[in-house]
Amino acid sequence: MTATPTTPTTQAPRALRRQARAAVARSTVGDRWLAVLVGLVLLVGGVLVALLSYGVFGTGRAARPLLDPMIVDALRAAPDLARGIAVAVGVLLVAVGLAWAARAVRPERRPDLVLERTADTAIVVSSTATAEAVQGQAATIPGVVRARARTVGADDAPAVRVTLWLADDADARQVLAQLDERVLAVARESLGIGVLPVAVRLELDTAAPHPRVA
Amino acid sequence: MRVLLRLLAPLLGIAMAALGALVALEVIATWAQPGRGRGLIVPWPDWRATVDTVTWDQPPVAAVAIGVAAGGLLLVLVGLLARRPEIPLDGPVPEITVTTSPRVLARLVGRRVRAADDVAGATVTASRRHVAVKAQAWDAPGPDLRDAVRARVEELLDELPLHRRPRVTVTVHEWRGPR
Repeated sequence: MTATPTTPTTQAPRALRRQARAAVARSTVGDRWLAVLVGLVLLVGGVLVALLSYGVFGTGRAARPLLDPMIVDALRAAPDLARGIAVAVGVLLVAVGLAWAARAVRPERRPDLVLERTADTAIVVSSTATAEAVQGQAATIPGVVRARARTVGADDAPAVRVTLWLADDADARQVLAQLDERVLAVARESLGIGVLPVAVRLELDTAAPHPRVA
Repeated sequence: MRVLLRLLAPLLGIAMAALGALVALEVIATWAQPGRGRGLIVPWPDWRATVDTVTWDQPPVAAVAIGVAAGGLLLVLVGLLARRPEIPLDGPVPEITVTTSPRVLARLVGRRVRAADDVAGATVTASRRHVAVKAQAWDAPGPDLRDAVRARVEELLDELPLHRRPRVTVTVHEWRGPR
């Protein structure tokens, strides 16, 4: 693998922001694209067949059988080509379908942080160690009831996703500032890395129900 | 929509792969043994006999086509609408992205609105661009109550580092129910 060690000081702030943005949640872009694509094929095909059936393209055309002898004759003229194309399309469908299904059910990666990589040694902080350090520290911020953290992203561009459950009276701005100064700065310093893209999700603590009328 | 997409994605992938495998297998089987009168897995010679006689203008064809088109439209909608409804906030530094959910914002606003004595109850819907508050007043509501509720919501929005300040609409009704 030719992954360069994480030396984020050399990374542009825009790239960092993009990484942090991507760490908010698991991406569904691929799934959505394929769903739209398959849906469009079905939609267009269905509409065209319905129009054909209602005689929009001519009543003579609509009165012919579904498997038109004309088309059968055309296929019979070059049987090997037709079979080859059919097999190729089938194999392509299998490949695309399996790849899509595998992508959709694969769990999200938890990359380790690589601090230093030379030819024969690498200093690596495991993903669980990073996550536990960050979430343990974050839970001590005043106003934070519960915290959870995990590493996300690609191996050569790791990021951290932190979910904070805030108390009712917490000041969000204060909590975020503390998270940056106390938790993430310490983490960066102790791990010896320049910058670490972070995505924070704020939730409200739902453990204690609040009276509806004060 | 997101959950539906997560469920549909692997199923659609597997269905696609199964369809492709069937096509390839049947074509290869018939290629290798042209004389065999039945399909390997699916009885496609029977289907072919049916398809030979049914014409395009017979009613079931249109019905099936409309069904397929409706299914396709549904898939397109699922694909387009399966976004996370998240509200961006401003982090202290650029490499920290902060988001929250509309539910959290609605709960914050609702709690702030209900905390005052002059409001009997409130329902709140929130999105990235818009916060709508339906408050119930104890007495016949006047415009000053609406302004007071709006001021409270704006005060809360000032405290939150929201990336885009949502528009606030407040409607006030009289409380119908026991005191």
